[in-house]
Amino acid sequence: MKRYATLYLYFLRFSFSKAMEFRLDFSFRIIMDVIYYMVNILLFKILFLHTDLIAGWTEEQMMIFVSSYLLVDAINMTIFSTNMWWLPYFINKGELDYYLIRPVSPLFFLSLREFSANSFINLIIAFGFFTYSIATYSLPWEWEKLFGLLILMINGSLIYYCIQMLMVIPVFWTHSARGFVDLFYTLGLAMERPDRIFKGWLRVLFTVILPFGLIASFPARYFIEGFDTKTFFHLAMVSAGLWIVMLTVWRWGLKNYSSASS
Amino acid sequence: MTNWWRFVIAAEIRKILAFRTDFWITFVGQTLIQILIARALWQAIFESAGKEVMEGFTLHMMTLYYLLVPIGSKMLTGENVGFLSREIYDGTFNRYLIYPLSFFQYKTLTYLTYSAFYGLQFILVYFLYLIFQGNGITPSNVINLFLGASLFMIASYAYGMLAMFIELISLWADNIWTLMVMCRFFSFFFGGAYMPLNFFPMWLQEIVQFTPFPYLVSLPIRTTMGLASTIEIATGLGVLIIWAILFRLAASLLWSKGQFRYNGVGI
Repeated sequence: MKRYATLYLYFLRFSFSKAMEFRLDFSFRIIMDVIYYMVNILLFKILFLHTDLIAGWTEEQMMIFVSSYLLVDAINMTIFSTNMWWLPYFINKGELDYYLIRPVSPLFFLSLREFSANSFINLIIAFGFFTYSIATYSLPWEWEKLFGLLILMINGSLIYYCIQMLMVIPVFWTHSARGFVDLFYTLGLAMERPDRIFKGWLRVLFTVILPFGLIASFPARYFIEGFDTKTFFHLAMVSAGLWIVMLTVWRWGLKNYSSASS
Repeated sequence: MTNWWRFVIAAEIRKILAFRTDFWITFVGQTLIQILIARALWQAIFESAGKEVMEGFTLHMMTLYYLLVPIGSKMLTGENVGFLSREIYDGTFNRYLIYPLSFFQYKTLTYLTYSAFYGLQFILVYFLYLIFQGNGITPSNVINLFLGASLFMIASYAYGMLAMFIELISLWADNIWTLMVMCRFFSFFFGGAYMPLNFFPMWLQEIVQFTPFPYLVSLPIRTTMGLASTIEIATGLGVLIIWAILFRLAASLLWSKGQFRYNGVGI
C-alpha cells in the first residue's frame, strides 16, 4: 500500500511539472471547464424560469444536485480522464506491454498515471460552487448528511470510472481508436439529470445496468430527503457489482491482448 | 487530377465506415440515448408546470426537436475537426504543402463529406420518424426537410470555416483543442441544441441573434419541423452565408500569415 502511495506521489510531481510546460494550454483548460460549469448552471436556471419544480426539486435543491455532478465530473477529469483518453492508444499500438511488465498493478498504473493539474484548479472551483449551493440552501440540514453526501460522491466518482472503463475496454476486441467513449459521453447526460425523471425500463437502465443515476442524483437525494435502508442496499450492491464486472472484463480484455500486433 | 475530389470523398467515406460496428452502435446509441433522456426531462417539466404547450412546443414537438438535434449537431461538427492542430503540432501537416491542390479545398471537401454523410442519416431518421408516427410523408414535409438539410449543409460550411480559423491559431500556439471545445459549447448552447431558444429570456434571445449560433442549429431544425416562416428562412440563409464568408476570410488571413511560421518538423 505504501509503495502505491509513493508511486502516486511521483505521478503527481510528474503531472504538475508537465502541465507547467504548456502554460497557455493550462489557462485555456481552466477557462474551458469554467464555461462548461456556467452552461450547466445556466441550463437549469433557464428551465426554472418556466416551472417551480423539476422532478420534485426546487431551484435551490437542483443547484445542490448540479454542483454535486459538477464536482464528481471535476474529480474524474482530474484523476482518471486523461488516462482513459490514452488507454485505447496504448492497446492499439502495443504499448501496453511496457505497463504489463512493471511490478505494479497495470490497472492502477494505467488509470492513475496522469493527474490532470489544470483540472485540479477546476476541482477547486467546482468545490467552491458546491460549498456556495450548500451555504445558500434555505432549509435546515445536518452535518452528518453533508458528510454522507461527500462519501456518496466519492462512490459516484468510482462508478463513473468503472462505466468509463467498460466503454474503453472493448478496444481489446474492436481495435478502434476510441472504443465506445463517444457513447459514454452521451450516456453521461443521464448523470446530469435527476434520477426521478427516469421511469420504467429507462430507470432500470440508469439505476442498475449503467447506474449514472447513482453518481450524483442519489447522493443529492440523500442530502435533501434522506434514504431508507432499501436505497442504501441498492446503492451498495450496484456499486460493488459494477466494480466486480469491470475487473472481470478488464482481465478478460488483457487475456485477449495480442501485444504489438493488435 | 481533374477528378481528385472523387478520390478524396471515397477515401473519407472509407474512413467513416472502417469500424462499422463502432460506428453504428455509436450512431444509434447516441441518437436514442439523447432523445430518451431529453424526453424524460421535458416530460417531468411539462408535468410540473401543468401545461400541454410551453413556448410553442408540445411534448411531442419537443421529442422531434431532440431527435433532430444530435444528428444535426453531427452534421455541423463532422468528425474531421480537431485534426489540423495536431498535424501542425506533430509535423504531418507537410503533406498539404506537397499535395498538388489547394489546402482549403482539400480540407473543406473532407469536412463536408462527413457532413453530407450525416446529412443522409438526418434525412433517413426524419423519414423513419414520419412513418412510425403515422403522419405519412407529405410534400410539405419533404420541402421542409430539404430546406432544413440544405441549411444544415451551409451551416456546416460556416462552422467548418470557424473551426479552421481556430485551428490555424495553432501555428502560433502549441495546443488549441480547448478553444475548439469552448467554441462547441457556445455554438450548441446559444444555438439551441440544449433547449429551444424560445425558452431563453427575451433579452438573451435578442443578444444571440447578433451571433452566428442560432443559425447553426436552431434555424435548420425549426425549418425541418416546419416552424420557421419563409422570411425567417430567407433572412437566416443570408445571415449564414455572410458569417460563412467572414469565417472563410478570417481563416485565409490566418493561413496567409501563419504558413510562414510553420517549420515542417513539428513542435
